[in-house]
Amino acid sequence: MKAILIVHNIASDLVTSVWTPIFVGLFIAIVIYALWPRNQAVFDQASRMPLRED
Amino acid sequence: MQQTQSTKWMTHGEAGLMLFFAMAAFVCAFAAAKALDAPFAFHASLAAVASGVASFAIMNRYLDRPASLPPEEISGKPNYNLGPIKFASFMAMFWGIAGFAVGLLIASQLAWPLLNLDLPWTSFGRLRPLHTSAVIFAFGGNVLIATSFYVVQRTCRTRLVGDLAPWFVVLGYNFFIVIAGTGYLLGVTQSKEYAEPEWYADLWLTIVWVVYLVVFVMTLVKRKEPHIFVANWFYLAFIVTIAVLHLGNNLALPVSLLGSKSYIAWAGVQDAMFQWWYGHNAVGFFLTAGFLAIMYYFIPKRAERPVYSYRLSIIHFWSLIFLYIWAGPHHLHYTALPDWTQTLGMTFSVILWMPSWGGMINGLMTLSGAWDKLRTDPVLRMLVVSVAFYGMSTFEGPLMSIKVVNSLSHYTDWTIGHVHSGALGWVGFVSFGALYCLVPWLWGRKELYSLKLVNWHFWISTIGIVLYISAMWVSGILQGLMWRAYTSLGFLEYSFIETVEAMHPFYVIRAAGGALFLIGALIMAYNLWMTVRASEADVGTELALQSAE
Repeated sequence: MKAILIVHNIASDLVTSVWTPIFVGLFIAIVIYALWPRNQAVFDQASRMPLRED
Repeated sequence: MQQTQSTKWMTHGEAGLMLFFAMAAFVCAFAAAKALDAPFAFHASLAAVASGVASFAIMNRYLDRPASLPPEEISGKPNYNLGPIKFASFMAMFWGIAGFAVGLLIASQLAWPLLNLDLPWTSFGRLRPLHTSAVIFAFGGNVLIATSFYVVQRTCRTRLVGDLAPWFVVLGYNFFIVIAGTGYLLGVTQSKEYAEPEWYADLWLTIVWVVYLVVFVMTLVKRKEPHIFVANWFYLAFIVTIAVLHLGNNLALPVSLLGSKSYIAWAGVQDAMFQWWYGHNAVGFFLTAGFLAIMYYFIPKRAERPVYSYRLSIIHFWSLIFLYIWAGPHHLHYTALPDWTQTLGMTFSVILWMPSWGGMINGLMTLSGAWDKLRTDPVLRMLVVSVAFYGMSTFEGPLMSIKVVNSLSHYTDWTIGHVHSGALGWVGFVSFGALYCLVPWLWGRKELYSLKLVNWHFWISTIGIVLYISAMWVSGILQGLMWRAYTSLGFLEYSFIETVEAMHPFYVIRAAGGALFLIGALIMAYNLWMTVRASEADVGTELALQSAE
């Protein structure tokens, strides 16, 4: 039982200390994707999606 | 599921669901007979009747339909499934008027307590959750389901997944509303704000919501467009997060499977934190993310302009997702919640300013090159003013989350004013705008019955909102200042009843504002009804596409 608790504590410490940089990294990656110049053409098209008629 | 023209078979879905409802009818009837309390017996009876009707309706529908299910495409164009959307739009209008009317009643009760009628069923305590649930979940929820089913089909250029599943979602959701609403009147409640329905209603909503998620995601999966339009991201975030919030905040153990009462798994301050993690993110993901999806589709469509900055929309979406979930503790300032948690909630709330305003700017700037339409198109004006209200209330929210400000504003009418500038101005107006667009599209009409009436609706409701929120600002700040006023000897300057008396004129003004808002909605209902009833000569080409529905 004690061993399980220790493992649990280590695991939860690891998770709580790791997710902050992961989320920050993920968000930065998303921002880079959004601002990447080569994606501009795709986004220009996407911004007109509501206007298209079948 | 093999069908040919000559032989007609039930689909697995039809047969399975019919069987499920037939069995559910018996189980519910049994539960009603054995129920431990009267409200549970009533709800079990309702469920038994509804299940029986559902089972019968599925059979009837099967007998009436042609051998093959509606085709995915008709002459190369997607055959959109509009039936469930029409139903949800209709219900949105119905619940909207019911919810606004109950709001007016409870506003009047606060001004004239006699209106409580001294009856348990009509007391403020029971009617208040009826009002909040009716406007948020019944009105707002039906608007979100209707628009999400519409937008996902149009932007993916594909028919909604499932034959009965979309109907199950809209009908099942509205049945949940009936159970929740009648429960409040009968005194059934978990006493959790915006999560009042008891365990059995919560379980039913869980089933409905999972089907909603599956229908939405599977429609995205079979899309004909390579890119998933940003509105769908917002809808998806709304559906997924509401599922998580609903499960987390409703982990309750019923006292008996045959009674309405349950106890929540959490206790004390953990329960409070869970509740406001839920409560604030219901604001963030139900009342914000879902309606931002409406903004990103309906404003460009109505203004006939592309989204101002698609890049900004992506950053807007992800920053909102990453930040919102942490803001909940600002509802628990100066309570037993650890101080650092309160400060964390406050900090994230202040940071939320940026994505909120980023989104607002994106919505407003979509009008670039089409600003003149605001003069001529009251529907577009309604949509744009809703975004302005969004900007205003998301400015006010972070301000009120700052602890010093909150020490004045908390528990006062200022909060009620803030909520209503968001609810009436943002959620209400963006929903009205969306329904004004949606109804002519769904019923294949060229335009609304009367744009003049939309104009009347717009101005009457806007004046109503202004009366409402300005009355509550003054009342709230007055109330807060009176509560904290001390005499030179260190005694409280005012007794509580004196502060209540001071509120009276503002409560009357607020009720007047609510009445105007309700009148606007009634004008809208008439306008939409006349649009649907418009002569066949006006019917556009869109109707041809719905024939197989």
